[in-house]
Amino acid sequence: MKLLLIAALLAQTRIASDFEIAQMEKQLAHSQAFEAQLSGRLNLGDLRASRNELSLARAEYTKAYDLASRERLEARRDSKMTRYANATSYAALAQAKLGRDTSAFELLEEATRYVSDDAETWNLYASAMRILGHPRKAASAARNAVALATKPLDVAIYQHALATALLESGETDEAERLLVTVTESLRSSKFDAVKREAARTESFEIYSSARGDVAAYVSLLNRAQLRLASLYEHRGETAKARTQYERVLEARSDDVTALTALGRWDDAFEANPFSMSLVREYQRYLRSHKPPVPDAVGVQRALVQLARGETRAARETLDALLATFPANETLRTLRREAEPTTTVTLPRTNPTAAELRALLENFEQLTPEQRVTLDQTTYTSNAVFDSASVTNNQTTFASGTIDGIPFRFSEPMIFAGTFGVNARLTYRILGVARDALLLEPLGVQP
Amino acid sequence: MIAALLLAQIVTATPRGVVVAHDGRIELHGRWNAQGVENATAVVAGTDRVAVLDALNNEAVIAELATGKTTRVRTAETPVGGAFVGNQLYVLTRDGGELQGDFLRESKGLLYVYSRVKGTLSEFMNGRVTRRLQIAPFASDFEISGRTGYLVYPREARIRTIDLVPMRVTGTVAVGAVPVDLAFAGGGTAITARILAVADPSAKRIWFTEGTQSTFEAIARGFLRGFLGLGLFGSRASQFPTGVDRVIVRDKIWVAYDSSSGTLYRFTKSKSSILAKGIAPQAFAVTADGVVYWKDGTLVAPGKAR
Repeated sequence: MKLLLIAALLAQTRIASDFEIAQMEKQLAHSQAFEAQLSGRLNLGDLRASRNELSLARAEYTKAYDLASRERLEARRDSKMTRYANATSYAALAQAKLGRDTSAFELLEEATRYVSDDAETWNLYASAMRILGHPRKAASAARNAVALATKPLDVAIYQHALATALLESGETDEAERLLVTVTESLRSSKFDAVKREAARTESFEIYSSARGDVAAYVSLLNRAQLRLASLYEHRGETAKARTQYERVLEARSDDVTALTALGRWDDAFEANPFSMSLVREYQRYLRSHKPPVPDAVGVQRALVQLARGETRAARETLDALLATFPANETLRTLRREAEPTTTVTLPRTNPTAAELRALLENFEQLTPEQRVTLDQTTYTSNAVFDSASVTNNQTTFASGTIDGIPFRFSEPMIFAGTFGVNARLTYRILGVARDALLLEPLGVQP
Repeated sequence: MIAALLLAQIVTATPRGVVVAHDGRIELHGRWNAQGVENATAVVAGTDRVAVLDALNNEAVIAELATGKTTRVRTAETPVGGAFVGNQLYVLTRDGGELQGDFLRESKGLLYVYSRVKGTLSEFMNGRVTRRLQIAPFASDFEISGRTGYLVYPREARIRTIDLVPMRVTGTVAVGAVPVDLAFAGGGTAITARILAVADPSAKRIWFTEGTQSTFEAIARGFLRGFLGLGLFGSRASQFPTGVDRVIVRDKIWVAYDSSSGTLYRFTKSKSSILAKGIAPQAFAVTADGVVYWKDGTLVAPGKAR
C-alpha cells in the first residue's frame, strides 16, 4: 500500500520538463516532416538527459541519428545537396550527443564541403564540438556562424553559441560582452513582435532544438540569461547574478537552475528533482544546514536522510522512487552512494552514537564471526524511551533512542519497578527492524 | 538498417607502399606497424615520411617510411592538412596557429592556403605569408597544377582559376549542377589544356572540362587542334548510379567515391563500375598498381590497373 501511495504522490508531482516532453511526443505523433521528427527526438533526448535518464536519452539520440541518416540518403538520391548537407549536420549532432566524436567530426566536415556559406551549418558544427568537449573548435565554428548570419534572432542565437564556447575556453571577457549584447538585444523593442506572439501563445517551453521564432526566442532568452547569471555568480557578483536569475523566473517560474541558484530548494525539487546539479548543490547546502526530513517521499528527502547518515532510510526512499523511475541515473547514483560501507566495526560495550549508527546502517555487512560476537556481547547505554507505562509497580517499555539512535524491542517488555523514560539500559543487539536497532533488554536501572 | 560511416581509417599511397592509419595504429602494409593517433582524420604523405593527423586531439604522429620510427607532436587547434616541403612538415590548422585555413597545396616549394569563409588565398614561403589574394569564399576544393590554382564552388556551379605567378583570378568555368571535388585527368600538353575531372553528386556524374587558359595559350592550342584535326572528346561525362563527390585520377586509373553510401567506383569517360561498398571516406587510395581500400580490417587490392 505504501508503494502505491508513493507512486500516486509521485505521479502527481509535476516535473518542469513534463510539459515539454508531452509537447514533443505530440509533435512526433502529429507531424511526419523530417524537421519535426528530428527536433522532437533531439529535444526528447535533451529533456531526458536533463532528468538524468541517460538510457532513454541515448535511445532518442539514436532515433534522431537514424532519421538524419535516412534523410541524407534520400536527399542524395533526389540530388538535393543542400538538404543532404543539412541532414548530414544533424546526423553529426546526434552522433555528438551519443559521444561518438570521430564520426561526428567526419560528418561535420562532409556537410561543410557543400554549404560552408550556411550559418546554421556552422552553428551545428559549434554545438557538436561543444558537446564533445572541444570548445575552441566550437568557438571557431560559431564565429563563422555569427559572421554569416543576417536575421537579428539568428545573430543572437549564434552569438550565444559563441559566448558559450568562449566561456568553456576560459575566455570570459568576450563571452560576457556577447551575453550582455544578446540579453539586451532580446529584451529590446527590436523583438517586440516576437515577444507579443510569445505572450499571446503563452509560450514558455525551453528546447534545445527550437522550431520557429517564438520557441527560439523564449529558449534563447532563458539560456542567455542563465549563462550570464552563472558567469556573474562565478565572479562573485551576486547582485547581478540574482537579477538575471530573477529575470529567468519572470518568464518561467519553475526553472530549476534559477531556483537552485536562488536557494529556493523546495521549488527547485518540484521543478526537476532529478537534476544532478541541483542534487550536488543541495548536498553542499546540507553540509552547513540541518533541515528536518521532509514528509514527502522524494529525492530531497533521500538527500536529507543521507546527510544525516541515515543511509538505511535513504535507501528505502530511493528504492521506492526507483520503482517508479527505474531508468533514472540520478536515483541510481544516489542509491549507489547510499550503499553501506563494506567494513563494519562492532560497537564497544558502552557504545557511542556513531558506533550504533554505523551498525544500524551496515548491519547486513557483518561477517558471520562478527554476528556470533555480537550475539554474545552485552551493552549498556543511557536510553530515552518513547513512553513509560506504569502499572502495579511495573513499567512497560517498547522503543526509544540511545543518543538519538532509534531502537525497539521485539515486543513491549515489562520491568519490575517504576521508571521514567530516561533509564540506563543493559541489552544485547539482535538486529535491525526497519529503521531501528532491535534490542533484547537484559535490565533497566534508573 | 542504416549503415553508419566507417571512420578513422585512412589509406594513402607512398613511394614505399600503402600506409594505413586505423584503430590507433599506423601501418606500412607488410612492413611495420606503429602506435598512431586516437582519431586519424587526415594523412600527409611525403617521399620518406608520412604524418597522420588527429584533428580532434590536436596531434600528429610522423612516421619514417623506411623504419616505422615515429615522432608525436602537438599541433595548433584542429590540424586538417599538411605538406612536406623538403625535410619540413607544414601542418595546416583550421582553428588557430600560423598556417591557418581549410586547404593547403604545395607548388614549386611554395605553399598556398585557401580559407573558405574568409575567401583568401595566401602564399607562404618558409612559413611566412608572401602574398594574399582576396577571392570568392565557400569553395569546396582547391587544387594546383603547374602555375594554375583551381577553386571549386558547389553553390555557383563554377570553377575559378588563379594564375599563381601574378596571383590573380584568370577566369571561371561553369561546371555541372553542384561540383564538389576536382582532379586532373590529363592534358596540359602543348596541344591540350589541362583536363579537369569534376565530381558532381547532384548530377551523379564526373564532368570533364578544360581548365581555362591564357588567351595566348587558347589561341595557340586552338590553332594546333585545328591544324592537326583534333577535337575534344565527345562524351563529356560519366554516369553513376549514385551521386559521387570525390574523384581521384592517377594516370589511367580513375576512381570516384560516394560519401553518402560509401561506394567506390572505377570509371572511364563512358562507363562506371562498383569496386566496393561500405568504404570509409578516406579509406582508399590509388597506387601505381591500382586501387587499394581498407575494408573489415583488411587492405584489399582488387587487381592491377588495366
